[in-house]
Amino acid sequence: MNDHVVEIRGLVKRWGDLTALAGVDLDVRRGEIFGLLGPNGAGKTTLISVVAGLARATAGTVRVLGHDVVRDYQFTRRAIGLVPQEINFDPFFTVEEALRFQAGYFGVRLSEERLVEILGALDLAAKRGTNARALSGGMKRRLLIGKALVHDPQVLFLDEPTAGVDVELRQQLWRHVRRLRDRGTTVVLTTHYLEEAEELADRIAVIDRGRLLLLEDKAALMARNAGQRLQDVYVALLQREREQREER
Amino acid sequence: MIGLGLRTLLAKEVRRFLRVPGQTLLSPLVTTTLYFVVFGWSLGARLQDVEGVPYARFIVPGLVTLGVVTNAYLNSASSLFVMKLQGTVVDLLVTPLSHGEVLAGFVCAAVLRGLLVGGVMWLVAGAFSGFHVAHPAFALLLVLLAAVAFAALGVMTAIWAATFEQVNFFPTFVITPLTFLGGVFYSARMLPPGLRTLTLANPVFYLVDGVRWGLVGISDAPPLAGLAILVALAAAALGGAYAMLASGYKLRG
Repeated sequence: MNDHVVEIRGLVKRWGDLTALAGVDLDVRRGEIFGLLGPNGAGKTTLISVVAGLARATAGTVRVLGHDVVRDYQFTRRAIGLVPQEINFDPFFTVEEALRFQAGYFGVRLSEERLVEILGALDLAAKRGTNARALSGGMKRRLLIGKALVHDPQVLFLDEPTAGVDVELRQQLWRHVRRLRDRGTTVVLTTHYLEEAEELADRIAVIDRGRLLLLEDKAALMARNAGQRLQDVYVALLQREREQREER
Repeated sequence: MIGLGLRTLLAKEVRRFLRVPGQTLLSPLVTTTLYFVVFGWSLGARLQDVEGVPYARFIVPGLVTLGVVTNAYLNSASSLFVMKLQGTVVDLLVTPLSHGEVLAGFVCAAVLRGLLVGGVMWLVAGAFSGFHVAHPAFALLLVLLAAVAFAALGVMTAIWAATFEQVNFFPTFVITPLTFLGGVFYSARMLPPGLRTLTLANPVFYLVDGVRWGLVGISDAPPLAGLAILVALAAAALGGAYAMLASGYKLRG
């Protein structure tokens, strides 16, 4: 059986005159942490949005667990958890209510045991009855992760989950991501922190201006560029791409 | 059978408006009480009966209708629009809920708020003018259809709107004027011919008039005309809202 949980073929997305994705092909393998890197405006969030159903592709196909994300959206959305880049919260409800509502939308009745497990894993147990409005920025971000996990998705998309997060919380989130991977969840991570991708990812993809520049096992990539950090490899890659573009 | 997803959305939407009862339920109650204190109690004795019905009783159907449609509209429009502004609409868009379930969740919650407000207004009005209802089933059917139609219009507005001003445009500049000019405070038969023709061209007139037939037992137009117009309006509004959700317009890039 194919071990690709996400298969993207010829994905094009245009926002008016702007081409955000210009024919991207990539696969995400079952059980891996997939690091999707690129500068601002590269198309990372657009790509995730198309897979999660927040945006519609102009051309190309996206399949999750073998199912088309448009035709079989009810199946694919049950398989996906999304932590969006922007923090959002509903000021009418508590942490527990937010988690229970989100589970309910997926047709899942959140058991007390599962609720306690999620709250504990995200260090939010003490805030269970607190209104989301009263949470700190880091706690709100953890609540977003909790909401993405309530239906136990097979693929979790984390769109810059540690942006603006302090070092301690970042490392806590890294531990949690690894635990999820170890339990069999596939994780797709976009980040601007190269050390985060270097620390966590099993495979690395780099996109720029909607084009895939690199897709490689992290270990092989680092071995090929012995003595360098991922940051050096990334900067050199983008520089080379820019020079080639100027030549063209 | 209704799925857990839809039940959850409905429960969340109902809990949302119950969390702010002062704004969602008590505010229309105060406004209505003031209308009845001024028109029904203070002035009512000096105003003539309309078609044999005391004035305080004559104005009840129009005010109840206004309360129902305004609150049904505002509930779905403000809830979905605020979700767009806060970004929490993403929580809904990534779920396997179908377009029909999303629409049903918002519309049913809004209808419930509209009927709650309408019911409370009718109870307040009853204290001034009595509780007798001429055709209860017809009145309830009409009010229900009106709530569905305006709740669906609220969903359409929320999807389309980019600012609060646009959300508030419809109740301020469309619903309230059409209702007030749709015979809430007078019978179309009392108007000079030109104004009567204008009133008869106002679709909300048939709604108010039909509800008046249901609650009080008198009407200017055939009550079935109100029913037919409302069925058409509800179907069109539900169809339009569904089409907007299904197309992803302003929601899914």
